[in-house]
Amino acid sequence: MALLEVKNLKKSFGSTQVLKGVSFTLDEGEVLSVIGSSGGGKTTLLRCLNFLEIADEGEISIAGETVFKALGDGNKPYIDPNVQEKMGLVFQQFNLFPQYSVKQNLTLAPMIVEKKKAGKGYKSRKNEIISSIEAKALELLQMVNLTEKADTYPCFLSGGQQQRVSIARALMLEPEVLCFDEPTSSLDPELTGEVLSVIRNLKSPERAMIVVTHELEFARKVADHVIFFADGVIEEQGTPDELFINPKSSKTAAFLGHVGGGLDL
Amino acid sequence: MGFVEVTQALLLGLWNTFLIFALTLVLALPLGLVISFGSMSKIKPISYLVKLIVWIVRGVPLMLQVIIIYYVPGMLFGVPMLSRFNAVIVSFVINYACYFSEIYRGGIEGIPAGQYEAGKVLGLSKSEIFFKIVLMQVVKRILAPMGNEVITLVKDTALARVIMVVEIIQAAQNFAAYGLMWPLFYTAVFYLVIVGVLTLLLGFFEKKLSYYKA
Repeated sequence: MALLEVKNLKKSFGSTQVLKGVSFTLDEGEVLSVIGSSGGGKTTLLRCLNFLEIADEGEISIAGETVFKALGDGNKPYIDPNVQEKMGLVFQQFNLFPQYSVKQNLTLAPMIVEKKKAGKGYKSRKNEIISSIEAKALELLQMVNLTEKADTYPCFLSGGQQQRVSIARALMLEPEVLCFDEPTSSLDPELTGEVLSVIRNLKSPERAMIVVTHELEFARKVADHVIFFADGVIEEQGTPDELFINPKSSKTAAFLGHVGGGLDL
Repeated sequence: MGFVEVTQALLLGLWNTFLIFALTLVLALPLGLVISFGSMSKIKPISYLVKLIVWIVRGVPLMLQVIIIYYVPGMLFGVPMLSRFNAVIVSFVINYACYFSEIYRGGIEGIPAGQYEAGKVLGLSKSEIFFKIVLMQVVKRILAPMGNEVITLVKDTALARVIMVVEIIQAAQNFAAYGLMWPLFYTAVFYLVIVGVLTLLLGFFEKKLSYYKA
């Protein structure tokens, strides 16, 4: 059974339809890359998957359980109240909280969420909860090689370091599906490598990842599955080899040729 | 009447000046935040109503508002204000809350949408996002314009004497009946000391919040 199943997702802004019925599945441990030109709806897709935008129509299920369903009839869609924890999102602009240290950026949300979950039992388990969250934060900082920056504030970090912090932050709640929205697009070229290698190392049977990216080389080497997105629909999908070496759609071929990521790689 | 007597009389007036200042600040700061939420409300009738009120309050001289709050309830509804001092506090709080609300609104609307979005994808509710993530960033942004308003408030307290609440200027003017003008000029020293202390305090907070850049 697929971990994530997206069926016929549609989203319009005013009279512009940005997603025109998007369907795909994602297995556990799988990395999906979404490529395509700007304005094609890639970011909107990720925002709908993370409920920063609410799709007009379609269904999303995680591990066989429906977490979102909209019939497109104007009625309020069904949204699983706990869905936000199952999905994670890393932003193009990092969006770290500037007034909190690196470690606090990681622990802030889990502290609040765990306190809510524990309810009345929080007081008796307070120390245990706090120390387990802090331990996890340090563990994740080690994973992204930023242990020594734990008490630094985001404004003193490079773009690449900030993005690595934001990746660690997204992992704190152990999302089942971790999404990346052009994670290297606002970085200097020499900083993209460190972020991409962190993402590559995150590949694990414990989670699935969706990476919207312009780094075709990365998509080709790391992804198990690639979707080429154009004008709000999945124009073509397949394994990296199928898509990059032998694109079936002329639009895909044109895109790959145009950005120079095609056959000569 | 010597210097010591005048100083004592002025200090009595200064106590009222201080009370008006402190009570207005303590009450108008939270009320202003509520008003700013009203003016940013997605429910149109609420935001229009709040903006109308802010327009009226900012559009009418504070001195006139003090007079209106003191006299009009009694004239229209037969319920006179309990005290002159209360009328001053009510009108000052409403007036300053409206000014504060616009400063809050500017600060809140200046916070990038990404901060809210990051909070949301981490599973936080709207109020958690506001109080744990946004508010402190707003405070840093609005400290300078708020400082301006607070300093203006110190001097606006002098308007209380329009309904015979004896603050420091009125206390000094009472000496004019004895032909003494200098106590009035002397009050400037007290204002300068208060504003000086506030300036230092604001500078301290600004420094305190300068440990990060937004």
